Amino acid sequence: MKHRRKAGSWLATVVLTLYCLIAVILIGNMIISSFKTKQDLLFNTFGLPTEITFSNYDKVIVEDGFFSNFINSILLTASSIVSLIFFSSMVAYGIARYRFRGKAFIEMYFLIGLMFPIQIAILPLFIIMRTLNLTNSFLGMIILYSANMSFSVFIFNQFFKQLPGALHESALIDGAGEFTIFMRIMMPISKPVISTMALISFVQIWNDFYLPLVFLTKKSLHTITLAIYQYLANFLAYWNYVFAAVTLALIPVIVIFFIFSDQIIAGLVAGSIKE
Amino acid sequence: MHRSRAYRGFIAPGFLIYTLFMIIPLGVAFYYSFFSWSGMGDMIFIGLDNFKKIFLEPRMSGIFWNALGNNFSYMLIAIFIFIPIQILLAYLIHIEIAGHKAFKLMIFLPYVISPSIVGFFSLLVFDPNIGMLNTFFTMIGFQQFAGAWFGNVNQAFPLLVSVIGWQGIGVGMVIILANMKSIPGEVVEASIIDGASIWNRFWRVELPFLKPSIINVFVLSSIFALTQFDLPFIIGGLNGGIDGKLDFLNLVFFRYTFGDSYNGETAIGFGAAISVVLFCIIFSIALIQNLVLKRLFYRDEI
Repeated sequence: MKHRRKAGSWLATVVLTLYCLIAVILIGNMIISSFKTKQDLLFNTFGLPTEITFSNYDKVIVEDGFFSNFINSILLTASSIVSLIFFSSMVAYGIARYRFRGKAFIEMYFLIGLMFPIQIAILPLFIIMRTLNLTNSFLGMIILYSANMSFSVFIFNQFFKQLPGALHESALIDGAGEFTIFMRIMMPISKPVISTMALISFVQIWNDFYLPLVFLTKKSLHTITLAIYQYLANFLAYWNYVFAAVTLALIPVIVIFFIFSDQIIAGLVAGSIKE
Repeated sequence: MHRSRAYRGFIAPGFLIYTLFMIIPLGVAFYYSFFSWSGMGDMIFIGLDNFKKIFLEPRMSGIFWNALGNNFSYMLIAIFIFIPIQILLAYLIHIEIAGHKAFKLMIFLPYVISPSIVGFFSLLVFDPNIGMLNTFFTMIGFQQFAGAWFGNVNQAFPLLVSVIGWQGIGVGMVIILANMKSIPGEVVEASIIDGASIWNRFWRVELPFLKPSIINVFVLSSIFALTQFDLPFIIGGLNGGIDGKLDFLNLVFFRYTFGDSYNGETAIGFGAAISVVLFCIIFSIALIQNLVLKRLFYRDEI
């Protein structure tokens, strides 16, 4: 369908360009400022740096241990994604590909988490985690992110449902066990869904603020998001370093977003349409 | 699809962790709300006292109603201002105005930025002393526009809402946009041939097709509004900003549940009662969605 561009649409283009400039300016300013000396930041706040310095990065990465926050975030995010996809794809597969009594109920049951965000249950969750000795532990966090599986189960369920039944039957005839069929046949053809889920979970877990705030109180376990929050609390004391820290935290997400934006957006949209 | 017991093996591991770490905590929150408990020591059954405290005790109920009021104000803004903007943005991208591809990306971008970084950005822009806005106004000689921003009782809430909107508006937009793309082309063509104006075409032909996505965005935004925590906490602090203007239910809940180190008062039962109230509100919204909205919108089909 072709639309002729009218005067009104040019006006919209101008307004939206200005609006989008907010993000460009904020991110651009952040990157430029991260290379400025403290002097420069004070007297030449928004201009280009008079001299480029890497001392902020040096201080943040080496002295403040921001590097270990970075590693924490990577470890936690990566292992949570693997674990989440493992558990949720199996659940979805069990629901989508088998006929059994109570199937409709189980399907509904796994959707409850979509309606109620985990914050509402945080208190009993905290007590359970404390009893199991899972607070201040990455294992505990990985389990939590995996348990928060409603969205992922839903997406995998949609995918498995539309696969042809013959796929399974022919493998059964060849004598493959049920789990072998799942791992050897179903997982490889699910690659597009797996990568979509991995991307969406990456954005969500990497950026998550609430669960680490509650469950990772020990400083050595802090993720990047928490580390930045700590910097903010002491903003004035550190403010030339904050830019470097924020740049380091933001770059991976932005790069991944610009490479995979179509897939991320499509995945989020697919999960929101239940009809 | 076939019958076999193998499904149990596939579902069981996920079922276990999901039940233990999602479903049971939701149920237990109800149970705790009937007790007085500081998190350690004895739990004393006090019936509905926690709820009485929320609704009736002057100090607590003041805090509660103020926070709930903020949640609802934000929800109304999300529904009556953000959703129309999201529809408009989706439409502009759908009719492919110049630059639509870049706009879609750039409007969505803030969604992938962590809340603590968004908090940092808002500090950078709105800080009264070193913030970009005040520096800019001073630079161009309009000192009178420089303000306290988040430190100003009247501006704090609208500013916070704008920051939250800036971060999240892209999600609803892409959901509605995907729905727009699924509208059958012939229907729209037909209306063009019939000579419908752009406005009529949108209002009479395209909007009715958007009901499913608008309902979805409505529900997502409402739940999001009621469970606000990250940005108010990062920007306004745990005590709800100046004069409680940035206080939300989840912050109150957090304060009284994990608050010992913050304000020397921990009341797990009270915290749980707040989360139960929150739970009930969200549950009613889900009900409203299922009963009222669908009936309202799908009248013709019923």
